Amino acid sequence: MVSVLTVCPYCGTGCQIVVNDEGTEERVIGYSRSPVNEGKLCIKGYSGLSYNFSRDRLKYPMINRDGEFVRVSWKEALDETADRLLEIINEYGPDSIAFQASAKCTNEENYLMQKIARLVGTNNVDHCARSCHSPTALGLITTLGAGAATGSIESLAAARTYFVIGSNTTEQHPIIGTKLVTERKKGKNLVVADPRKTQLAELATIHLQFNPGTDIALLNSMMYVILEEHLEDEKFISDRTEGFQEFRKAIDKHSPEITEGITGIRPEELRRAARLIARDRPTSILYAMGITQHIHGTENVMSVSNLALLTGNIGVRGSGIFPLRGQNNVQGSSDMGVLSEWYPGYVPVDSPKVERFEKLWNKRLPRNKGLALSEMFDAAAEGRVKAIYVMGENPLVTEASVSDVETAIHNLKLFVVQDIFMTLTAGEADIVLPASTSLEKEGTFTNTERRIQKVNPVYPSPGEAKPDWWILNEIGKRISGIKGYESPRDIFEEIRQAIPGYAGATYDNIYPIGKQWPINEENPAGTEILHTKTFPLGRAKFVPVVYAPPAESVDEKYDMIMTTGRNYFHYHSGTMSRRADILERESPEPYVEINAVDAKRLGIRNSQAVTVESRHGTIRTKARITEKVPPGIVFVPFHYDESRVNRLVGKQVDKLSKIPEFKVVAVRVFA
Amino acid sequence: MNYILSKEEMERVFAAISVDFESYGAVEKEGEVVFDRVHSLAEVSENRSRYAPKEFLIRRNENVLYLEEQQRKAVFGIKSCDLKGFYLMDKQVLNRDPFYTERRNKTLFVNFVCNAPCEGGFCSSFGGPVLDEFDIQVLREGNNYHVMASDKYDKYFSGYRNDDGSYFSDFNRKFNTEMPPLEVDGLENRIKWNSPIWKEFASRCISCGACNYSCPTCYCFDLYDDGDERKREWDSCILSGFTSSSAGNIRSGLDERLRQRFYHKFVYFKKSKDEFLCTGCNRCVEDCPVGIDIKEVITHDYSLE
Ligand code: SF4
Ligand code: SF4
Ligand code: SF4
Repeated sequence: MVSVLTVCPYCGTGCQIVVNDEGTEERVIGYSRSPVNEGKLCIKGYSGLSYNFSRDRLKYPMINRDGEFVRVSWKEALDETADRLLEIINEYGPDSIAFQASAKCTNEENYLMQKIARLVGTNNVDHCARSCHSPTALGLITTLGAGAATGSIESLAAARTYFVIGSNTTEQHPIIGTKLVTERKKGKNLVVADPRKTQLAELATIHLQFNPGTDIALLNSMMYVILEEHLEDEKFISDRTEGFQEFRKAIDKHSPEITEGITGIRPEELRRAARLIARDRPTSILYAMGITQHIHGTENVMSVSNLALLTGNIGVRGSGIFPLRGQNNVQGSSDMGVLSEWYPGYVPVDSPKVERFEKLWNKRLPRNKGLALSEMFDAAAEGRVKAIYVMGENPLVTEASVSDVETAIHNLKLFVVQDIFMTLTAGEADIVLPASTSLEKEGTFTNTERRIQKVNPVYPSPGEAKPDWWILNEIGKRISGIKGYESPRDIFEEIRQAIPGYAGATYDNIYPIGKQWPINEENPAGTEILHTKTFPLGRAKFVPVVYAPPAESVDEKYDMIMTTGRNYFHYHSGTMSRRADILERESPEPYVEINAVDAKRLGIRNSQAVTVESRHGTIRTKARITEKVPPGIVFVPFHYDESRVNRLVGKQVDKLSKIPEFKVVAVRVFA
Repeated sequence: MNYILSKEEMERVFAAISVDFESYGAVEKEGEVVFDRVHSLAEVSENRSRYAPKEFLIRRNENVLYLEEQQRKAVFGIKSCDLKGFYLMDKQVLNRDPFYTERRNKTLFVNFVCNAPCEGGFCSSFGGPVLDEFDIQVLREGNNYHVMASDKYDKYFSGYRNDDGSYFSDFNRKFNTEMPPLEVDGLENRIKWNSPIWKEFASRCISCGACNYSCPTCYCFDLYDDGDERKREWDSCILSGFTSSSAGNIRSGLDERLRQRFYHKFVYFKKSKDEFLCTGCNRCVEDCPVGIDIKEVITHDYSLE
């Protein structure tokens, strides 16, 4: 029996788990000394790890020869991958290839992937944070100078009021959700803005059940009320911010009486909520995909930031902005620069600071913006991109407008997928490389509160599967001229040089409980609360944003709004959670949540098969009649490859961050 | 029989047991007390383990198409409340579940009686911490070990100094003053089906399953087919897929499922087996992320509802 302390492979909360292993037998407990989860876990932590032993695990490298996957040796797979990539680069230039990294992989692996891409001369490296928190990175870097949660999970207990907007916290970040539940029961204020009636909404002091996509109208109205009633923090505004006057002008047009027609929220409700947030401080503001997955995602984030600045809710324990990260390593992978407009540590690709990496890596590096995830497949369809290398992603399920993704993949000269399962996406690949899971390898993850935590191997890898860093290392040696790394620790040592916030972290000092970046000479123990005295920008910026409607709206034919998301039991495209028996039993099939009023109007009974049709596609799925969604709105989870909701999602993206609008799709539902 | 042994003598007993059994014990790892192989008694931690070591008898996940012959194992340092869980399970599954039975018969538990009450625990309410049923029960007093050995394992102590056992009963009396027992008598009749506490619990619960997974008395599992294997895995009665039929779970509300858990422990098991299905270990409270406290179910005043 061995007991290993590592990190839960699921959500961005980053609970620390102790796994007791005897063969495939595992006992999972929460690490009681962890400041993140204090020994607690959700059902995914307890019962979600059995995917690791699934008989479907990829065990050998394979090459698709004439439509059939043939088992090959690692050498053959690696050589062929490298040769074909080099051929394409030589013929069409480095920007003809693109890399997709993964927020489920370690910091070391993501760092390595972007380094290889940039060494071969392209910034075409991006990952799934594009589809979840790219607006956060961009939005908060613009307003505050750092795209990350400003406080710690522990510090949430110090708040007197919570404002949760666009986050179903008890289902998506359950352990963070439970902190809110517990504090609420102690009598703290909880304001929840969500079109759905979530568990937190049921417990809330005020639930603002507003119309999807009208976040800015809602937030601006709150700020209108705060200004009208002089509840703003004048001292904070004058000492620590800039741009207040222009911002104020933009707010003027948003009285709650005017926005009621947009948001559907009664002015009196909204006023009460605004007063709680501004008066009963400190207030912690938590948000997730409900804010970001919109064509105004970045503006939504900046609007949340405006609210925090206006009410002086930043830099003090119990206050702050908490963008909740979906996957375990969204924060870390973004920090590592697997984003097409940023080098590691959020250095813009077109800034002179890129020199730092040119020195470190000893090579001239590309300074043009690369293709974002949402653009790579379009470029492939147009023939500009000839090869895509995917690590641990399943875009055929998770990207918007998946039918176009299919066409794009068929147009490629080379499609390489490195994964733990034969996913729908891997099934389309020319070369499939079998990877180890995070329970089989070493490295680090950075959780939603910036805590860098050590990941440790519990089990051996099946067959010939190898850790992603090992595979990338081999590819890197062949195509980018890196000399190669000995171990993840070796890569981490370089990350410490590349990213100042990581400089003070070592494998030894982040074990066992991790440290929150920035970790440096002034803050050797890490930094729990950001922006206590100054902002990275010096002064934080108010950015005026005005409401504009979402890309899609209802009409006579498509008369309902669909929003998409996850449920408690599943995760991402379901490749892991759907192979965990208990989780799959709890949520075995796709469904659409629909209000009883609509169901009655449409003659739909509970559990009946229905068609959901948008302007972009259709799916068949089961109706689930519930009070969780209000009339006029339906909700569909995106985990199920047998009924891919992303067929329905259009291609409109946020101009600034290029995130697709997964949250507002006009649809019609019929039996 | 009862004995009193020195530290050295206990080590000799450990060595003798380890000839016949594979020895496991509570050991500290990164500040957590977990179970692992041990090679001397000195390695065994007296601190309470982080979890009830149920997996010695019921695996978290196993193929039930074959029953392999099991290793003989000795487990040192299990706490009385966790061990008592197995005696309660026995009433339901021993000689019915072949996997449990095979392991039960081949596992020797050496329980360490706690020297002082733990925070939150309420084992005294169910007769603890000195148990009436045990394999080998140990209570340390300074450098000496008071031992109670069952007939089956008495042989390991032949030749050592006999004791009259009064130390155990005196200790239990003293312990009961430090941890006053809760009023559990008649709970099976007092508890109310329509009490508002079930709904209040449901408003907080996130269905994590921890209360079942951590409980030393919970034995329910799910059965499913996986390729050519048929597996069973620990289950949780809080989940809606638990015991669901083609019409879904008959307890469709979370409040109903939470109530079922407490009714099973305090009503159904009591009425059918004449014991409460709880040992007072407090693990379900410690692991519950929203602080749902079984002691509240026991002490709640139902008379006004
Ligand atoms: S809250 Fe997130 S990190 Fe914690 S156990 Fe659940 S899925 Fe894992
Ligand atoms: S119900 Fe709770 S207190 Fe009772 S034995 Fe189970 S885990 Fe321990
Ligand atoms: S431990 Fe608490 S939150 Fe988890 S299932 Fe049990 S009662 Fe619910």
